[in-house]
Amino acid sequence: MRRFALCAFFLIILSSLAFATAALKNGPAPAGRDQSATSRTTQPSGEEVFKQNCGRCHTPPMSISPRITGTVIMHMRTRARLSRQDELLLLKYMAP
Amino acid sequence: MLHPRHRRRYVCSILAIALCLALIGRVVAQNSSPVENHAGYIPAISGGAGYIHNVDGGITTLEPQINPVLLVPFGSHVLLESRGTFFGFYQRENQTSGPFKGQVFKSVDYAQLNWLANTHVIASAGRYLLPFGLYSERLEPIWIKNLQDAPITAAIGTRTSGSGNGFMLRGTVVQKPSYSVQYTAYFSALSNIDHLQSARVAGGDASVYLSHARLEIGTSYQRFLQDRHINSGAVYVSWQPPSVPLDIKAEADFSYNGRGYWLESAYLFQQLPVPSFFRRTQIVGRMQQFFPSNGGGNSLPRVDTQRFDAGLNYYVRDDLRFISSYGRSFSSQGNANIWNVGFTYRFLFPLWPGRSK
Repeated sequence: MRRFALCAFFLIILSSLAFATAALKNGPAPAGRDQSATSRTTQPSGEEVFKQNCGRCHTPPMSISPRITGTVIMHMRTRARLSRQDELLLLKYMAP
Repeated sequence: MLHPRHRRRYVCSILAIALCLALIGRVVAQNSSPVENHAGYIPAISGGAGYIHNVDGGITTLEPQINPVLLVPFGSHVLLESRGTFFGFYQRENQTSGPFKGQVFKSVDYAQLNWLANTHVIASAGRYLLPFGLYSERLEPIWIKNLQDAPITAAIGTRTSGSGNGFMLRGTVVQKPSYSVQYTAYFSALSNIDHLQSARVAGGDASVYLSHARLEIGTSYQRFLQDRHINSGAVYVSWQPPSVPLDIKAEADFSYNGRGYWLESAYLFQQLPVPSFFRRTQIVGRMQQFFPSNGGGNSLPRVDTQRFDAGLNYYVRDDLRFISSYGRSFSSQGNANIWNVGFTYRFLFPLWPGRSK
């Protein structure tokens, strides 16, 4: 049974990677992904900071009321140890 | 003593310089001001809620819970944040038969005042979550974790209540376009106050985040400073490949009571060529092993334990999902099947009406 469980786990890992590879071959990357590649050596945009940091722990929210955007980003800056620069970029991106 | 004419010239010069400084200050303030956005800073209520139907080794447990988070900013540099937990735990009277009975456990997970001084320093005082490894501070909320049962090693570095009472410093040491280095250092005092228990501990955490690869590598250390003084440590990796909705996390922990590791992988069907309905599906797998030392204990198993979990989650929206998982635990004390079914919901709304800037 233990061997079966281990096999099942690795099967999930392998199928994840297989799905991922298939997805890469079959479909273009979603909008916005190309932007991250263009500015590898320059300062990232707010969108890049959002994608790079929010998804590290949770699914990013679709929208946040502008009235509380500043509050929420202060909270996330504390949790995720974001820099002041990231905070300003996120504010500009999420509540332009 | 200045001549009256010179005095007048002197006063005029001072006024002119002051006026120039004021104008320069105003221009600098406008340029450096974060008011290039319309973000509002009014208090908010956030958090998670959910219900989990758990069957562990044939014993059914009903687990409703809500974890409200209160956020009260004072300007754009000071934030008061607090999270409470109301966790219901209901089992059948004779474990496998009879009516369900139980109670709601209440706790304050954190209640801290943060001063966001600058990039390098965020100073916190009050009650905070012990920052040890990946799980306790980042993945523990019900609406975040991919599998509802905590890893076995989550008890390492989080004694005695998962929270500390004291001071914490954290921030970004260095930030470059391709990487950043973060740190956390804390000290907690002993507290036996009801709902606010904490141990006397000191510790820290450091991590490097490679932003282009979206790869984070970190380590945590903690010294337990009461009763038997022990060291605990962890190393962890978190990776979300930029082009694939894959989330891989792994952590290895050690302490006086034992050592272990867990490895978790989650994949969202977002990019698969399947009907859009199925693209909200996520599959999760996790395996873990734990090897006790010195008899184990302190919420850790006393015998070698291995566990495997597989989960299937469905995101109805970004804030609402149905979760399900199956796990099997192996140990010399007996193997067991663990089932979880339920839903989680994340909420976030302003505490009172207000306008953005």
